[in-house]
Parts: sequence; C-alpha cells; structure tokens
Amino acid sequence: MTLKKYQNIKLIIVVVIAIIFSQAIIYQNYLIPLATLVVSSLILILLRRRVKEVVADERDYLNAGKSASWAIQVYSWIAVVMMFILYAFKNLNPTYEPIAITLAYSTCTLMLIYSLFFKFQNKVKFSNSKTKFIILVVVLSLFGAIFSLRLFSGEDNWVCQNGQWVKH
Amino acid sequence: MQTKIKEYRAKLNLTQDQLANLVGVRRETIVFLEQGKYNPSLKLAHDVAVVLKTSIDKLFSF
Repeated sequence: MTLKKYQNIKLIIVVVIAIIFSQAIIYQNYLIPLATLVVSSLILILLRRRVKEVVADERDYLNAGKSASWAIQVYSWIAVVMMFILYAFKNLNPTYEPIAITLAYSTCTLMLIYSLFFKFQNKVKFSNSKTKFIILVVVLSLFGAIFSLRLFSGEDNWVCQNGQWVKH
Repeated sequence: MQTKIKEYRAKLNLTQDQLANLVGVRRETIVFLEQGKYNPSLKLAHDVAVVLKTSIDKLFSF
C-alpha cells in the first residue's frame, strides 16, 4: 500500500469517527464511539503495517515537537484568559464558574504532563535514574487519584445540623 | 547551509525518491536538504554521505 492511499483512508476514518461521535452524543450512546475508536485504531494499525514507504522521519518528529509545544502554549494562554474572564463574570451565569475551573485544571494538568514528558526526554532517558522518575510519577499519580476522589466524592454536600448529617 | 547532495546524486544517477528510500526518510526531506533548508541530524548526514559515497564535510558547508 502506498503512503498516499494510507493517508486518504486515514482521513476517511477520521471523518467517519467524527460523524459517529456526533451522532452518539445526540443519542447519548457511549458504547458505539468506544467500539468505533477501538475498531478504527485496529484498522489503522493493520493498514500501517502494509505501508512500505517511510511514513514519518526525523524532520516530521522535529516539526511535531515544535507544533506540540506551540499548541500547548496557545491553548494555555487561551484557557487562562478565558478562565479569568469567565470567573470575573460568574455572577452573570452560574455555569461560568465550573467552566473556568475546568479550564484552569485542564491547563495545569496539560503543563504537568508536558513537564514530565520533557523531563523524561531531556534527562531521564539518558540517565540511570529511571527508577526514581517512575517512583515520582507513581507518587504524583497517587496524589492525583486522591485529589480526584476528594473532588468527586461529594463530601461537601453533607453538613452537620443539630447533631445530624444533612444533605444540602 | 549549502549542500552538494544534488551533484553527488546526479553522479550516481539516483532520484530523490531512491535516495530517500536508501536513507530511510521521506522524499520531501531530501528536497529540503538539497535546498539547504533543513539541518539534518548527524545520523542522516552520515547515511546520505555513505549512500553518495562521499564524506559529510564534502556534502555540507556552513
């Protein structure tokens, strides 16, 4: 299979996934997009193996790295500015606050993941301290998991009133 | 950056596509290399020099 043919098939698959996802959201079915994602990934892996030409080389990886860095910076700036604007006008619409918080946390998460990968690529990959880095990642993941559990546990929905726990 | 890849490639009657396949990159990368618009890695520069039966310092000048 030629690279051109593979890229065309990939484009068609992406379009099909987008259509299926949009329909799944409308009909609130979350299994179909999951199945589509798995099947399409398998198809792409199988097709990729049939391509004899070079799909990506060092120039592509260099461009990908630069593009990813710019994308993160652009997203972070937009998210931070939007977060401040939405948070400033939270009294106008109560939905602004959760959106602002989501933007803030997503930016922090993105930067944290980027920093970890950068650290790995920059130093850990070439050193013998891989174990230390893995331990750090595990500890951070545990903190993240505990924080997420605390955030979504709904503990703050309960208050003690007159010696009784009341949901408010 | 200036390169003599095109000259050496012509001497060996190689097309850009053939050279790209021999060094394991895409044809576009060879195009940019020949135009002096892409700074290759040491490995790629070495591979190109080996395929074109010359040395890196003869292929590239800064």
